[in-house]
Amino acid sequence: MIQLHNVSVTYQQDVCALHNVSLMIPKGDFVFLTGASGAGKSTLLKLLYAEIAPSRGQIIIDSQNISRLTRSELPYLRRSIGIVFQDFRLLPNRTVLENVAITLEVLGLGRKEILERVARTLKQVGLEQRMHVTPCRLSGGEQQRVALARALVNEPKILLADEPTGNLDDENKARILAILKEANCHGTTILVASHDRRLIASSHKRAVVLAQGEIREVHDESC
Amino acid sequence: MSRAKFKKRPAPGSGGVLGLTGYFFRRSLLNIRQNLLINVLAVVTITLSFLIVSLFLLVFVNLEGAGEIWSEKVQVTVYFDRELNNKEFVALKNVIMTLVGTDTVSYVAKDEALKRFRFRLKGQEALLDGVPSEILPASLEIRLKQAYRTSEGVVAYVSRLKKIPTISEVQYGEEWVRRLNTFLVFMRFAGALLGGFIALAVLFIISNTIKITIYSRREEVELLELVGATRFFIRIPFLIEGMLQGFCGALLSLLILAGVSWAFLNQAGNYLIFNPREAGLVFIPVLFCIAIVATGVLVGFIGSLTSLHRFVDQS
Repeated sequence: MIQLHNVSVTYQQDVCALHNVSLMIPKGDFVFLTGASGAGKSTLLKLLYAEIAPSRGQIIIDSQNISRLTRSELPYLRRSIGIVFQDFRLLPNRTVLENVAITLEVLGLGRKEILERVARTLKQVGLEQRMHVTPCRLSGGEQQRVALARALVNEPKILLADEPTGNLDDENKARILAILKEANCHGTTILVASHDRRLIASSHKRAVVLAQGEIREVHDESC
Repeated sequence: MSRAKFKKRPAPGSGGVLGLTGYFFRRSLLNIRQNLLINVLAVVTITLSFLIVSLFLLVFVNLEGAGEIWSEKVQVTVYFDRELNNKEFVALKNVIMTLVGTDTVSYVAKDEALKRFRFRLKGQEALLDGVPSEILPASLEIRLKQAYRTSEGVVAYVSRLKKIPTISEVQYGEEWVRRLNTFLVFMRFAGALLGGFIALAVLFIISNTIKITIYSRREEVELLELVGATRFFIRIPFLIEGMLQGFCGALLSLLILAGVSWAFLNQAGNYLIFNPREAGLVFIPVLFCIAIVATGVLVGFIGSLTSLHRFVDQS
């Protein structure tokens, strides 16, 4: 379970990115964070994988206050969270296979096991034929799916995705959404930051609307 | 709930220490291959830097060698009015050999002295026609051990030598010894100063070269942190890469210098008025070569460590 209690984030002392945000996301939930650019969606995700720390408030993941984690404990939190970045953050000089394998390499798994799990995940996202090419030879949709595979390959408890369908055509959007729903079916808690209203409406999932760093409304369309 | 909660999932690695070590080496070699250009540039820079150090050491070692050869000319001569018979020479030699600092003692008879004088007057030997050998004194030539070839060492030795009753007239070329010592002290001082500056400049260049190679991959470092890599896991491949760069750079510089040096020793005789091979020029001793390569590895390690400290620990 993810809990945020009165969380505020202030940049450079006067720019307030999030203000007094409280939110509870049960285990296995699928939630969209939506709102205009600058509403605080990405900031909220960054808080959850501890790239930034809250100026005020508490963030609890699985009953653990992540602000209290030491530097040496942070990697273990991040291993339980899969992250899909807005800009993909794929390493250009590594192949698709190597990009996805990074997540498993940090766990110290053997080569054979890594290869098996990466191949399985790439098949899941429909990229098994492209595992030996570098990201620069892939389309935007394919790169996004590689980023998704990297986030899902270690079967994380939580998946955070920042604009995973941005700049993609409808076919690729539907494909990404299907992959996210499948991961959710396997028990992964999904939190997606997106300003794509059509995508959110078609997903029939709960949506938290952010505006100027505050939660304005919550739409619960889950079925 | 315990803090170890996040450590329990996913399952820990199954490769053990050996598997992890193998992974780190494979990863480092793959990283070098995947970032070939920046690695080649780094190794070339390190090679050129160590070439300067190696060249300096080569010159310094040979100058030291020359100083050593010149210092062998530092000798003390004891003159006698009359020839010594063999029994007297052996007795005196035994006494002199007991003096601290004595290396060798040899007797120069009057005939031998005249022969040497005649050799020095090469082309004007006729000046000595009819001159009997009796006009030149017999002498003992004493070579000193290296540590006693300084001005102070020779003066102290001579004062000890003069205490032997049968010895009265002693010469040792004070001016030559003084000049030689001044030269050697100056050479060592200038060498240390110049060597220090070169070493500092080279360390600075190499350290910054390695920093640039790591800086160019800061996105990789950031990504590894975000997917849950520990600091240890991020650092080790970069440290191995840094050490390999330092090792290759230092080794290449020695190979290039050895090649150039070998070509010079074998070919320069055709162009120069002296043959460098006959002049006793030598290559850097093996121990120095090992030290250069070890320094390369160490500088690579430290350069990587300080750069990683900036990108990993402070991110």
